[in-house]
Amino acid sequence: MKTIHVDSTTDNLSSVMGFINSELDELGCPERIRAQIKLAIDELFANICYYAYDSAPGPVTIAFESEPNPPAVIISLIDKGKPYNPLEADEPDVELSGEDRPIGGLGIFLVQNTMDDLNYEYKENQNVLTLKKYLLE
Amino acid sequence: MELQLESKREGNELTIKLNGEINTGTAPQLKELLETELTDAEVLTLDFENCDFVSSAGLRILLATYKTLKARKAQMKLINIGPNFSEVLNITGLDAVFGIKVNHK
Repeated sequence: MKTIHVDSTTDNLSSVMGFINSELDELGCPERIRAQIKLAIDELFANICYYAYDSAPGPVTIAFESEPNPPAVIISLIDKGKPYNPLEADEPDVELSGEDRPIGGLGIFLVQNTMDDLNYEYKENQNVLTLKKYLLE
Repeated sequence: MELQLESKREGNELTIKLNGEINTGTAPQLKELLETELTDAEVLTLDFENCDFVSSAGLRILLATYKTLKARKAQMKLINIGPNFSEVLNITGLDAVFGIKVNHK
């Protein structure tokens, strides 16, 4: 397992993406799946930056693992902020017209619709959100 | 990846060409540009030929801009949409809101 440790500010998104991209390069990840994984990381990391810690930014760890057969990646985002399970957020109504659409709430919905498995745990005073994505088109 | 924006105003039409990615880090650039340049434009065209990554931070800006324009009977067009952005629009149902036909597998 490989990890990167950063503070929860959106300025660190590019370092996180650099880490994820280089790991996906090594695995020869197909482009469409890479875009889906990058999107998921963007959404989940942004959520931590905006909501996990109240006053100052706090620590975030991103852990990357892969499985060979069938090829898959397992990525965990870990923070020590207040307990929050993003998977319990209300689903947006994607049938609503533009005028009635609330602005927001789409990030987690996109993650739920593109990843193969998502799991949330609060353990040892940490939020641990883990995603799994198969690298097969 | 960073985002570079090229905007061109011709009469009542504003065209913005996006180069790069609209993610949590870069979305504020698009928001700022729209706040300064959109003014009274009647047609806004966003050209995604060189931008096929849009996270929900970008979707929020697009939806807010769409609502602003619609309220004054102006128009927002998204052109040259690539496969990844089109998937995102399709999942969120924003393709229908924005009047885009997406051929999504």
